[in-house]
Amino acid sequence: MKVAKRTFDAVIVGAGGAGLRAALQLSEAGLKTAVLTKVFPTRSHTVAAQGGVAASLGNSTEDNWHWHMYDTVKGSDWLGDQDAIEFMVKKANEVVVELEHYGMPFDRTDNGKIYQRPFGGHSQNYGQTPVSRSCAAADRTGHAMLHALYQRNVRANTQFFVEWMAMDLIRNADGDVLGVTAMEMETGEVSIFHAKATIFATGGAGRIYYSSTNAFINTGDGVGMAARAGIPLEDMEFWQFHPTGVAGAGVLITEGVRGEGGILRNAAGERFMERYAPNLKDLASRDIVSRSMVTEINEGRGCGTEKDHVLLDITHLSPETIMKRLPGIREIAIQFAGVDPIKAPIPVVPTCHYQMGGIPTNYKGQVIVPKDGNPNVPVAGFYAAGECACASVHGANRLGTNSLLDLLVFGKSAGETVVADFQSGQLTLKPLPDDAADVSLARIARLETQTNGVEVNDVRLDMQRVMQKHAGVFRFADMLKEGVTKILEVAERAKHTQIKDKSKVWNTARTEALELDNLIEVAKATMISAEARKESRGAHVRDDAIDCAETPNGRDDKNWLKHTLWYSEGNRLDYKPVNLQPMSADVEPIALAKRTY
Amino acid sequence: MSAPGKPRSLTLRILRSAPGAHVEPQWQDFAVEEAEGMTLFIALNEIRQNLDPSLQFDFVCRAGICGSCGMLIDGRPGLACRTLTKDHGATITLAPLPVFELIGDLSVNTGKWMRGTAERLETWIHRQQAPALTAVEAPMEPELAEAIYELDRCIECGCCVAGCGTLRMREDFVGAVGLNKIARFRLDPRDERSDEDFYNLIGDDTGVFGCMSLLGCHDVCPKGLPLQTQIAFLRRKMAVVGFK
Ligand SMILES: Cc1cc2nc3c(=O)[nH]c(=O)nc-3n(C[C@H](O)[C@H](O)[C@H](O)COP(=O)(O)OP(=O)(O)OC[C@H]3O[C@@H](n4cnc5c(N)ncnc54)[C@H](O)[C@@H]3O)c2cc1C
Ligand code: SF4
Ligand code: SF4
Ligand code: FES
Repeated sequence: MKVAKRTFDAVIVGAGGAGLRAALQLSEAGLKTAVLTKVFPTRSHTVAAQGGVAASLGNSTEDNWHWHMYDTVKGSDWLGDQDAIEFMVKKANEVVVELEHYGMPFDRTDNGKIYQRPFGGHSQNYGQTPVSRSCAAADRTGHAMLHALYQRNVRANTQFFVEWMAMDLIRNADGDVLGVTAMEMETGEVSIFHAKATIFATGGAGRIYYSSTNAFINTGDGVGMAARAGIPLEDMEFWQFHPTGVAGAGVLITEGVRGEGGILRNAAGERFMERYAPNLKDLASRDIVSRSMVTEINEGRGCGTEKDHVLLDITHLSPETIMKRLPGIREIAIQFAGVDPIKAPIPVVPTCHYQMGGIPTNYKGQVIVPKDGNPNVPVAGFYAAGECACASVHGANRLGTNSLLDLLVFGKSAGETVVADFQSGQLTLKPLPDDAADVSLARIARLETQTNGVEVNDVRLDMQRVMQKHAGVFRFADMLKEGVTKILEVAERAKHTQIKDKSKVWNTARTEALELDNLIEVAKATMISAEARKESRGAHVRDDAIDCAETPNGRDDKNWLKHTLWYSEGNRLDYKPVNLQPMSADVEPIALAKRTY
Repeated sequence: MSAPGKPRSLTLRILRSAPGAHVEPQWQDFAVEEAEGMTLFIALNEIRQNLDPSLQFDFVCRAGICGSCGMLIDGRPGLACRTLTKDHGATITLAPLPVFELIGDLSVNTGKWMRGTAERLETWIHRQQAPALTAVEAPMEPELAEAIYELDRCIECGCCVAGCGTLRMREDFVGAVGLNKIARFRLDPRDERSDEDFYNLIGDDTGVFGCMSLLGCHDVCPKGLPLQTQIAFLRRKMAVVGFK
């Protein structure tokens, strides 16, 4: 079959915060760039981010990047790479001010500076007191940021391919990346996007869980494509459960609510976080708060008739503060929980929110894999940034507002690397193999001919239930073992999905079937990596890990201070060391310690 | 509201069409059982999952912030994800937003229209010289920042466009969304364009003087943007430039 081919200097898959930031770098440098996206750029999920973006500007309270670095390393439970973390926190002020120059409508302090609010896990003076580090545009920071970046891209005349779904990564015999195949969602036609550089910025895969704050389009496509093409996935056992999803609806209530003074209460009305985190209380890091909430619920102190949630209380804040700083949250609470938070507390439960792991990269945004004994060898022509990538700055647990920062810093950095490699002549257009589109065409053909298959919805639901039950906030050795068996069964069935609607044009069922293939890769990676990691660290907490002097909070640094690498082929696991060495001599390595807040 | 335990059965009457297929658009009824807190977004997903996988509609965020899910709900432009079924009768009619290019059923191409408007009105900060990156943020009065933010809340959903009488008559009108963007950049001290520059963009019948002030836009904006005052204000400012 003949397949249309388009040629570019670079192709970027994804037009959320990370993709747009990278695209800007390329367009402004004059590279011929195609940006592929499943939805119009400003509809991307970054638009839903609420609370803010971290930078140690120190506008409201004293702050510096050393403290930000310490908080991030500690938040990551020491699984974050300290070189990448140093790079990110040092760049933070620059990328935020740059965004301000682009017209981002940040809130301001009385003296005209960018307004900053406290956020979970961010502290002054190495963990002592909460710091105001989150730069915010009310509670719609992601919306303001995505639109500012988009406007700047329109100015730079960036070329978007809207409603084009990338399907598979194209690699040659040497493993170099040559672009992607993509399906135009309108026509169902498959094309090849041949390029010197390919950047993935496809966002997260929160939809592997039943209850998630993520949009339905967050199906881990980039991660799945990479896995199928032989790239290992890093640290996929680490998923963040956000403490405050609206009970029942899953829609997010930002941590900024607690930053503004919101308090979590159990059925007795008690501010229970005082018991679990005496210093930062409700603003301890997310893994800790989520676990404390689940403990309260499990021990019978949950609220409501089912005792299945806790309450987020801001009734003590003035209505003016709520209207000015949290207007979107009020809207959401009224619609999804049926309560006006000015008058009554909001019912909340921990909800799947963020993927800490992903495609392994370094701080330059290059995708790196083990080769000939070196664990970190760049794959020629392949880059990634944003939630789909693992730099790794979030390690075992991400701090709120560090993701929007990650998008800006590593989106820009990946863009800069591509521009530099392009200008130095290092990037060349390598010949396409004859079978470049075969895998994608076969996937489409199978969907067209499959009979007696299984429904996409059924398989997806089974996957989500298995993940929710077997790899949730608390994990149990036997449940994880069983989970592996179950998820492999589900994966087997996913090979035989069938769609009733076989039309070519705008076929949503076909798109969803293709997305499911990606979700399944992510689900397998998560369950298998989690089953294997025999310790508790950050968001990954097992019942059989013991809290003692040797293994504080169940964290076993002797055996498990290492990154997981999962390969789709044969579900093989490998490991690589964590980089505990910062990038420069400006800072000492942050020494391992027990995590308390 | 119906009594608990006795869910209403709803009829969603949806205008189906497939522009390429050369068949006349027609209404089709779908029966859905109402659930607690049901939004149109939830109802439409149930239909697509259980009754008709070919039904086309758009959504991403399900929380009123991405601007994908605008449609005519009982004849009035609104967001499907922000519309509770309990606020409507037992039969709810749904049709695609007019003005925009129809993709199929309830799905229209708002993105293409918005990009066109963005290019035409150059909706980005204009500056002669890029400020040095090491520089700190330029200070801004909190009240001004809030006023800019207020107008920046537009989610480009297209509801105002669909509700606009002028736009139904002349396609080249920039609409309330376009005028609001100009008002936003005009307020912003970081944008160095003068009123003359803005006049060149909107100082005619395709811009602020084409608006008939019927305010269909203002009433339907799901974000409650102050479109009425902004358009009136802009018209006065542009009229001053016009007289010069
Ligand atoms: C409700 C919510 C609130 C949040 N609030 C905050 C916050 O306050 N602060 C913070 O730091 N973080 C926050 N986060 C996290 C943060 O918003 C996300 O991690 C981040 O926005 C992800 O950005 P991204 O650019 O990586 O991906 P996205 O913004 O998800 O963009 C992905 C892009 O890839 C495209 N794409 C995907 N697959 C394909 C494919 N196969 N082909 C073509 N295109 C494809 C999509 O169309 C889209 O354009 C929040 C997350 C959620 C869910
Ligand atoms: S002005 Fe209001 S109605 Fe118009 S596009 Fe913006 S948010 Fe939608
Ligand atoms: S007031 Fe102007 S922009 Fe608004 S609907 Fe009427 S004609 Fe359209
Ligand atoms: S789905 Fe995003 S606004 Fe309705």
